[in-house]
Amino acid sequence: MDHQSLATSKYRLIVPGGLFSRLHYHLFPGDGDEHGAVIAAGMAKMPDGSINLLARYLYLAEDGKDYVPGKRGYRMLKAEFIRSCIFTCRDEKLVYLAVHNHGGEDSVGFSSDDLNSHERGYPALLDIAAGMPVGALVFARNAIAGDIWLPNGKRVALESAKVLGTSRKILTPAPVLCKVSVDPAYDRQTRLFGDAGQDILRDTTIGIIGLGGVGAIIAEYLARLGVGNFVLIDPQKIEISNFPRIVGATRWDCFAFFQKEFWPSPVRSLAKFLSKPKVKIAARVIRQANKNANIKPIIADTQSKEAVEALIGCDYLFLAADSMSARLIFNQIVHQYYIPGVQIGSKISHEEKSGDLTAVFSVVRPVNPEKGCLWCNQLINPLKLQEEAQSEKELKANKYLDDSNVIAPSVITLNAVGAAHATHDFLLFITGLMSPQASNDYARYMMLERKSEIVEPRRDEYCSECGTASGSRLGRGDQVPLTLKY
Amino acid sequence: MAPGVKQAIEELRIQYPNYAIKIAADKHGGAFVVIEGMPLGSPYIQSDTWVGFHITYNCPYADTYPHFVRSDLSRQDNNPPGEGMTSGHSFPQQSELLDPNSMPARPAIQVSRVSRRREATETPRLKLIKVLQWIINR
Repeated sequence: MDHQSLATSKYRLIVPGGLFSRLHYHLFPGDGDEHGAVIAAGMAKMPDGSINLLARYLYLAEDGKDYVPGKRGYRMLKAEFIRSCIFTCRDEKLVYLAVHNHGGEDSVGFSSDDLNSHERGYPALLDIAAGMPVGALVFARNAIAGDIWLPNGKRVALESAKVLGTSRKILTPAPVLCKVSVDPAYDRQTRLFGDAGQDILRDTTIGIIGLGGVGAIIAEYLARLGVGNFVLIDPQKIEISNFPRIVGATRWDCFAFFQKEFWPSPVRSLAKFLSKPKVKIAARVIRQANKNANIKPIIADTQSKEAVEALIGCDYLFLAADSMSARLIFNQIVHQYYIPGVQIGSKISHEEKSGDLTAVFSVVRPVNPEKGCLWCNQLINPLKLQEEAQSEKELKANKYLDDSNVIAPSVITLNAVGAAHATHDFLLFITGLMSPQASNDYARYMMLERKSEIVEPRRDEYCSECGTASGSRLGRGDQVPLTLKY
Repeated sequence: MAPGVKQAIEELRIQYPNYAIKIAADKHGGAFVVIEGMPLGSPYIQSDTWVGFHITYNCPYADTYPHFVRSDLSRQDNNPPGEGMTSGHSFPQQSELLDPNSMPARPAIQVSRVSRRREATETPRLKLIKVLQWIINR
């Protein structure tokens, strides 16, 4: 990142909910006193030019040992504590952020003592930080202010912090006066989440990976909720075999008449070539529901640079694609850039010999930086990843068994179950309405039995994607390359 | 080459310091690898074989599959190589090479050992060790 653009960018802090809870409890244990900590954060530049600081490590300063009476101010972090933290930041290319709290509820700012201590100490910290910014954060119960020092000597204020708990929470230095718009079209739903909630939806950017049977329904639901910005990723065109499940699709979209058997092969091939891309159909459906929506349709898979850059700029991701490559990139983006998401799928399976149905279910798997990831939970198949990386020619040459591609069954009503749960979870998350006690675990809805089950995902501390050990992607932002095809 | 692929090749060089390791880049950040002169055990007439495999760009997440060995591999007991080993292949797939002349194709027996359970991320090095043990213990 060049120093000039760093100085003119907006800075935001993104904090996973559990880390924030631990910090908040440490800063506000009920004694009304001041406490300290350090956050080590990754850095990511967003498509709009803003910079996200991604809270990766939290070091709580123990009162009386690491956080002691100050020589000039009320309290200070001890040199040994600072040294340990800044060396970690230097070695792992993270941003050092000293943290303390003031009293008060909804607004906060640095005192003159605070700012003087920054001026005394931060030039030296910048020297140690080897090219990374350093800074300070001060919290009130519901507010945050930040003073970020850049390697080129410039200083910027932190605009806001985003806390990713069961609900999303935004903290700013002072309450932000919002002019809430009122659209009578949304009157019935704003009785759930308010006009302010409707504005949140309008200002939210959603990425949907896969606009097939599940993704198409999600796009319509979100558009009708009034989500204002969409990134749609799918390389495929609609076909006769899938148009019944893609909401808003017509037979003309897949030139169904010209794909009938009685047409010569060149006509049928042309009809397939002219069939509409799935993202275009989804864009049309979204516009019908919300003519003001901004839509970025990308006719490519998640291996494309354009797709990845667009996804990194999203507030929330829906993964509704089958490929393992899509799962891998989605999983990496969630954990590396702290963008919460959900993976939705459905399965219908039969007993091999008798053909009897054995399972019909839909799954909704929230994926966020503090839960075990899709890799930890063995939901990314290494063999399929390898197959997807090979060309058709190589794949055909290497096939050991002469197995034909198995086509998975798919039914719109089953797709709708997962889509509805996932979009409703998103709605409550983004409007701040989800209960703090709500489960964030995987949910499976079993249709034959008419029951649901919740499965807690496992988390491997040493996981390369979501682990807390150094070397993982967690909160690394732009420091680590995503696994993309050259 | 993708960082994961470079890392994998480095691990192979450390594991097999005394063996000739040939590398040819594919078009997407991966690499075709041939290691010459890997020792075989007593089941085989030949004392050693070359081993070839394709490390795709998404290493270490992707499996390394299949592997390829010399096409004339024969057993002492005259039995065919057995299940999981099929003849009539060639390695590498020339159309996938970044530089078409970088690694000539050789006739090969394909060794098909899929990693079904993932206890840990199985790097190409670990997979090769497993495959070689399987071949030797047939």
